[in-house]
Amino acid sequence: MIGVAPPAYDPAAPESATTLPVGGPATVRTYVRELMRRHRGAFAVLVSFNAVAVVASMVGPYLLGSLVEDLANGARELHLERTAAVFAIALVVQTLFTQQMRLRAALLGEEMLADLREDFLVRSVGLPPGVLERAGTGDLLSRITTDIDRLANAMREAVPQLAIGVVWAGLLIGGLTVTAPPLALAVLVAVPVLVVGCRWYFRRAPSAYRSEAAGYAAVAAMLAETVDAGRTIEAHRLGDRRVALSQQRISQWTAWERYTLWLRSVLFPVISVTHMTILCSVLVIGGVFVLEGWISVGQLTTGALLAQMLVDPVNLILRWYDELQVAQVSLARLVGVREIEPDAGDPEVVPDGHAVRADAVRFGYRADVDVLHEVTLDVAPGTRMALVGPSGAGKSTLGRLLAGIYAPRTGEVTLGGAELSRMPAERVRTHVALVNQEHHVFVGSLRDNLLLARTGADDAELWAALGAVDADGWARALDDALDTEVGSGGHALTPAQAQQIAVDPAGARRPAHPGARRGDVPARPAGRAASGAVAGAGAGRAYGRGDRAPAAHRARRGRDRGGGERPDQRTGQPRRTGGGRRGVRGAVASWHG
Amino acid sequence: MQIRDLPYPDPGVPDVRSGPRFLYWLGRNQLGGQLKSLSWGLLHQCGVAGLPLGVGLAVQAVVDGSGGRLALAAGLIALLGVAVALGDTMLHRTAVTNWITAAARVQQLLARKTAELGSALTRRVAAGEVVAVSTGDVEKIGWFVEALSRFAAAALALVVVCVGLLVYQPALGIVVAIGVPVLALAVLPLLPKATRRADVQREKAGKATELASDTVAGLRVLRGIGGEDLFLDRYRSASQEVRKAAVRSARMWSLISAIQVLLPGLLLITVVLYGARLTLDGRIAVGELVTVYSAVTLLLYPLRHVEEIAMAYSFSRPSAKRAVRVLSLERTAWAPDDTAASGGQEAPGGDLYDPATGLLAPAGRFTAVVCGDPDLAGLLAERLGGHATSDTDEEKPPSALLGGVALDDLPLITARGAVLVQDKDPVLLSGTLGELLDVPASGKVTAADALDAAQCGDVLAALAQASADSTGDPMRTRITERGRSLSGGQRQRLALARSLVTDPEVLVLDEPTSAVDSHTEARVAAGVKGLRKGRTTVVFASSPLLLDRADRVVLVHEGEVAAVGVHRELLRTDPRYRAVVTREPDEHDEHDGNTAGTAVTRARELQEIEESA
Repeated sequence: MIGVAPPAYDPAAPESATTLPVGGPATVRTYVRELMRRHRGAFAVLVSFNAVAVVASMVGPYLLGSLVEDLANGARELHLERTAAVFAIALVVQTLFTQQMRLRAALLGEEMLADLREDFLVRSVGLPPGVLERAGTGDLLSRITTDIDRLANAMREAVPQLAIGVVWAGLLIGGLTVTAPPLALAVLVAVPVLVVGCRWYFRRAPSAYRSEAAGYAAVAAMLAETVDAGRTIEAHRLGDRRVALSQQRISQWTAWERYTLWLRSVLFPVISVTHMTILCSVLVIGGVFVLEGWISVGQLTTGALLAQMLVDPVNLILRWYDELQVAQVSLARLVGVREIEPDAGDPEVVPDGHAVRADAVRFGYRADVDVLHEVTLDVAPGTRMALVGPSGAGKSTLGRLLAGIYAPRTGEVTLGGAELSRMPAERVRTHVALVNQEHHVFVGSLRDNLLLARTGADDAELWAALGAVDADGWARALDDALDTEVGSGGHALTPAQAQQIAVDPAGARRPAHPGARRGDVPARPAGRAASGAVAGAGAGRAYGRGDRAPAAHRARRGRDRGGGERPDQRTGQPRRTGGGRRGVRGAVASWHG
Repeated sequence: MQIRDLPYPDPGVPDVRSGPRFLYWLGRNQLGGQLKSLSWGLLHQCGVAGLPLGVGLAVQAVVDGSGGRLALAAGLIALLGVAVALGDTMLHRTAVTNWITAAARVQQLLARKTAELGSALTRRVAAGEVVAVSTGDVEKIGWFVEALSRFAAAALALVVVCVGLLVYQPALGIVVAIGVPVLALAVLPLLPKATRRADVQREKAGKATELASDTVAGLRVLRGIGGEDLFLDRYRSASQEVRKAAVRSARMWSLISAIQVLLPGLLLITVVLYGARLTLDGRIAVGELVTVYSAVTLLLYPLRHVEEIAMAYSFSRPSAKRAVRVLSLERTAWAPDDTAASGGQEAPGGDLYDPATGLLAPAGRFTAVVCGDPDLAGLLAERLGGHATSDTDEEKPPSALLGGVALDDLPLITARGAVLVQDKDPVLLSGTLGELLDVPASGKVTAADALDAAQCGDVLAALAQASADSTGDPMRTRITERGRSLSGGQRQRLALARSLVTDPEVLVLDEPTSAVDSHTEARVAAGVKGLRKGRTTVVFASSPLLLDRADRVVLVHEGEVAAVGVHRELLRTDPRYRAVVTREPDEHDEHDGNTAGTAVTRARELQEIEESA
């Protein structure tokens, strides 16, 4: 059987759910138009430089054509000095403009790419916290890595190169027509073959290349996981299985390589045949016309040489058109982020005071299952409060409501009497900081990580903050102290150290109007000693006025003192209790009977 | 080797003495493919080089007014056209096959090496470097290996054309034969600088991508506490750095392309002027002048291969060096003693003993180890498994003994089978829950029992809800990469379940429940103890709930066993133990009497609230 069928397994098929929108054709078009408009000056310069270079490159064939014409007519005097001068000037012009054109193309491509990636990150970082909490960061992450990479080539090369190719081919065919109109007909002879071949190819190629790229990325991803999980793999004696899995990925990838190679095995002969047909028909048709005396032999020579020059621009167009098709999908995914409406919020809602209050709040992630049942909670300004409960009790959920990420289904959550869920997200953030279960050491210096929340703090303040979480000891021992590079690829911090850093910025941050703060289990694994120090020493000292509540899973101190186990949990659901009994000191919503 | 036969059953033993030797090894291993590519390449290049002949013949035929010879010339071009199309397509097929087989071979070698190195890998070389070899370097290595035969074909074709022109038209041919080597070599001096700049650009682009993905990965944290502006500014400056580097690199390449226009142009002018004079003198025919002109313009195609191979080499040499660095890594700095290793294939049983600290874990018992410093605890836990790789720069620490046999003297795989050490940060490998729990195991513990003992009920429920098909079977639900969709506690319990399924002779757990709430932790402790009845279990922990379940508790202080007993007894008798386990306010707090006092008062208050509620 001739031909290769596309492999059954498609590595590009989405494995994780697409949680963020993908841009529609209209959005993508608008975006591209906007991008073009922003760079139209550069585009115009590129195209005109290109045109000058191409026209200069056509001088050679013309000069040779007229020489051949004169020689064929048996001329005795050729004025070679003049020919040489014109040729040399044309060559200098072509050289200079080609150099400028290449440079401009790169400038334009890089400019557009930088615009695009910065624009995307600005949009991503500006996403409302609610969207992030709901959608997770996985989808966004794959967009910023895979899609930006795919677009990089398209923006940097495909767009400028396509522009160059189209202008180039157009001018050559134009030149051919000006030289001798019948020769342009010869080019038309070849067009049907090219069109049929390209249609077949471009219908299949873009998605196949996407799958191929995804398959190749999967090979690398498998290796990356093996490296990352080295200890686990060795401990569980999984080495041989990892090798087998890698081989499986390799065969999935190469199956797609084989398919795309087949696609090109069809396209390449089509292109070659097109070029040959053009050259052949120019010579045959032109030759017959010369023999009939309708055009001159000089015109024929020029035409044949111009036809020969068409190879480059046609290949350029086909080469980059491919890339652009592949990039289109990535662009739609990036542009999709623009479609997310920022949470509107009502600018009229302004808090009056700092008291946080949840009133008879009901909430669930799914329509029919409530996680919180009529929870009422008062937090007076300056209170440090711990929420205690087993996994799944709804601590984190209540926290998200207090931070305005979700709106309660019934009841209301207010800050200074203003409903949080109706406040603009940015305003909520100036009052409520949410430190969630995740902690992340950012790539950069230790100082960057600490400055995160409080730009402009001086070193003394940072050391004080580190001291407050008992982290100054090891931090001073680092080779470059605050300038030490940490995060992925930098100096490896132990889990305990990472946690101290993660807790710290939240403490360093002081919103303009200290409102409520919520810490969700900020001090967790590795080293009770360390986390104990954070909860005990840190919370009190770093925040001076004591306006922060690290909601640790375990308020061990309280419990161990109480001695013995707590009565069994009856319902597993929070129960409404304790509203306001302790007055200003704040009530603890306890669901332990 | 055909693409459909990939992957290789055995990728072979690479020559890793140096980068160039590795490249040579790869090329030699696909000699057949290289020869095929060379032959098709020759057909293609010679076909292209023959075209000017047809063009010249056609023009001459027209000048002479001969329709028959015009048809003949057209026939020649058509014939050459077939050769070019066939040669081009087959050259592409063979060259791409060479590229893919070389790339697949390197990927396979990398996979085998990383699996073999296991825990030792990231201690010798940064994880990023290994991944970079796989993502970036493999392509460049494959490129050079594949380009070799194309270059050879082009070089041969150039020689053929020059010789042909000399024979066809000696006077003009000599000009071309002198010009071609100049054209071929002219841009070479610029290439190293250009490739260096391109590398700088790539490196900066990689950094910017890393910065962006790191920012997005931590975005929820960032959005929770603010500070995005700092990160946006950082990214913007990184992005602009990339742009500047790219433009610097583009300057070089635009200069190169200018030279590639200028020099062939000069050769053309020379050929045209000299040729026209020769024609005027009647020494050559008009058609021949056209042939030579056309031949010179087409010479640019084979000439590009000279430039390409130089580029491919300058790009792939550092890549090959990096690949060799990874592929030549060995697991241990000290060579394992083969004779001792071959002696005890059978996994021993009995008490586990660490001579360095004096820690003893009696066979079949549940031993808990309390160690104030979590990092030291991690090192000790690793040593208990034998074949530790942590401190390569120091002297080899004495091996842990299992039933009196040094674990280091056993083959690695036997030692790992006898003692399973679950570290603080076990990784959940991607795949379904079923695949996750499908690890080499004794077969005596079912997945259901293990999940039950590790209190994974809520995880199963969450996974069932997210299941891909309608069956709602949690075992067939995919766990996202590194278990990111699960909470820290859920991940930890799944990892514990996986270790329990394995059911090794000795199980060492380092802080297995640090992210689990106390309520669940108590049940996990009971579950593990029940499931591991009669098997040796060592748990590094400081939680009273776990310690209280242990048959024997050992306090390790400053690298030595300081006390042995049961939890309640040690709590009463040993103040150091009490300090670590109960987290009494330590000296730190006592300085700041106020805070400690407040904390105590507050604890009482909370208690009152709870009791009254």
